[in-house]
Amino acid sequence: MTQINASRSALVSGLAISVMLIAAPSIFAADETKKPEAPAAKPAQPATKPLKLGGPGIEQERSFPKIVSGKWTGPKTADGQPDVQGHWSNTIANHNNFTDPQGGILNDPNPNRVAKGPREERAPSRVSDPADGQVPFQPWALEKVKDFQAHFHDPIKPEYIEPLARCAPGGIPKSLFWHGYEISQYPGYVLFQFNSGTRIIHLDGKPHLPGNIKLWNGDSRGHWEGNTLVVDVTNQNGKALFGRSGEFISENGHIQERYIFSNDGDRYTYEAVLTDPTVYTRPFTVTVPARKWTAKDQPNGWHFEVEPANYTGKVMLKEPILDQYERICAENNGGFGLVAAEEPKK
Amino acid sequence: MSSPNSGPSSLQIVLMLASGLILLFLATGDAGAANPKIPRLANGKPDFSGIWQTTSAADYDLEPHSNRKDAPPGAGIVEGHYLPYLPAALEQKKKNFAARDTLDPALKGYTLGVPRGIYYPEPFQIFQRKQDLTLVHQFGHSVRTIHTNETDHPKDPYDWWLGDSRGHWEGDTLVVDVKHFNDKTWFDRAGNYHSDALRVVEKWAFIDPNTVEYKATVEDPKVFSKPWNLSVILHRHREKDFQLIEDYRFTLDYDDAYPPKPNKP
Repeated sequence: MTQINASRSALVSGLAISVMLIAAPSIFAADETKKPEAPAAKPAQPATKPLKLGGPGIEQERSFPKIVSGKWTGPKTADGQPDVQGHWSNTIANHNNFTDPQGGILNDPNPNRVAKGPREERAPSRVSDPADGQVPFQPWALEKVKDFQAHFHDPIKPEYIEPLARCAPGGIPKSLFWHGYEISQYPGYVLFQFNSGTRIIHLDGKPHLPGNIKLWNGDSRGHWEGNTLVVDVTNQNGKALFGRSGEFISENGHIQERYIFSNDGDRYTYEAVLTDPTVYTRPFTVTVPARKWTAKDQPNGWHFEVEPANYTGKVMLKEPILDQYERICAENNGGFGLVAAEEPKK
Repeated sequence: MSSPNSGPSSLQIVLMLASGLILLFLATGDAGAANPKIPRLANGKPDFSGIWQTTSAADYDLEPHSNRKDAPPGAGIVEGHYLPYLPAALEQKKKNFAARDTLDPALKGYTLGVPRGIYYPEPFQIFQRKQDLTLVHQFGHSVRTIHTNETDHPKDPYDWWLGDSRGHWEGDTLVVDVKHFNDKTWFDRAGNYHSDALRVVEKWAFIDPNTVEYKATVEDPKVFSKPWNLSVILHRHREKDFQLIEDYRFTLDYDDAYPPKPNKP
């Protein structure tokens, strides 16, 4: 009982903490400052709603092309990497639901947020192998995931709170579908700046960290194969859930990622093989489609949180410089769905 | 003293002025003087890419202090030794100091701010391009971008944890104007603090290829009676395979709840 009370009081107090996911002085970000979870609160749209790449909202498309590994014919950085720098974001959905990305949060008590229409009218599962689109959990782990889903809207214990709601780093693979992010490249490095967490991909072949060091985003070693950034991730702490549907990997997990870029530089396909003999019955593959956002796009409060910089130079720019302000989270400590909760009046 | 004809010709004056300028240039040896040994970007600007850390005890207390249970002694890093607090602000600083074991934002794992992140005793990595320097602090993996792309502070700013950093080059010195801060960070463990009126002007310059002098002028008219200066030396990490290791300190209070574990039989 003490446990429950403590947890509830933490949740209520969390509501009083203002949240600043991104402090960009744009309309979108200002909305986020007040209601960071607002995008997820929107009703799941009927499948007939037209979607547009680069348009408003989180959902940008329901199906997507698969980009295959091959030669890179696009521009390169000075040290010879395919130049893929810029603002990127996934195209289909947020982290509400890992295997039915446009299906809304599981067990949502609000009928307006429950997805309507047949499953095949929504984007496919992020699990692309096995074919059933489900994570091949061992029975005990599946039970834990279902338990999380049953309590997500009633988080009576800390373990039912999605750690991202407490500003924990998004981890892998969730960071790839949590807001837009920036990729920048340097000799020997690819740097990912996510809204929650930073990933440094080392390209210099140094050995991984000793195995007992465990990290939210793991330890990443990468190299380029043509149009594909291949990354080996070890040293994970297993604490970052894959979304509000509670799927997870453990500290024994290993992730092999492939970021496969299209030669026009507009898109990439993220493919990751997740292996964890203590949690899964077999390795499985996660696929996430991503597109690049540029100055030609309108800002978007989820995917592209930028505004024109205050340029003072004399040379005319080909396209405006964009500022993306700091990515610092203040704790938003509540399970989604508790936003209406208030401390009882005394 | 002498007739007009015996004075130096205008050509001589020009030569004297020019040689004087060259001598001055060599003597000061910093602004504009090209040190051939330091790393440089393709555009010729100094390249601060690398992993840096100070050996100073500044984070314990910017001001001179004897040893105490939670700090080694230190001579301080402030020019003139002591911060020019306004009277009321000094009282607040004393309260902060007394309660530092619970109030220091760093103990909560919060973003360290500027300039504290620079001399906090953990490494930070600079990733540099022509248009910007991105500082990733191991502590919290928080990221600060210094823009060197001829942009100025935003016209409609918020208050940020790390402020808004706009840099330009004065010779081989990177000069960064940082403002639009919130008031949630401290300068050190000893409760030295600032308001949201904080403004920091940083100067970054190589001493040699593996050593950087970092100077900052700090002003905050709500807290200090006048601007003050600090400086620390930053050393490049050159250990084999050295890298940043995530230090998301603020998750330690709750991360035992994850991931799910098999029920014990």
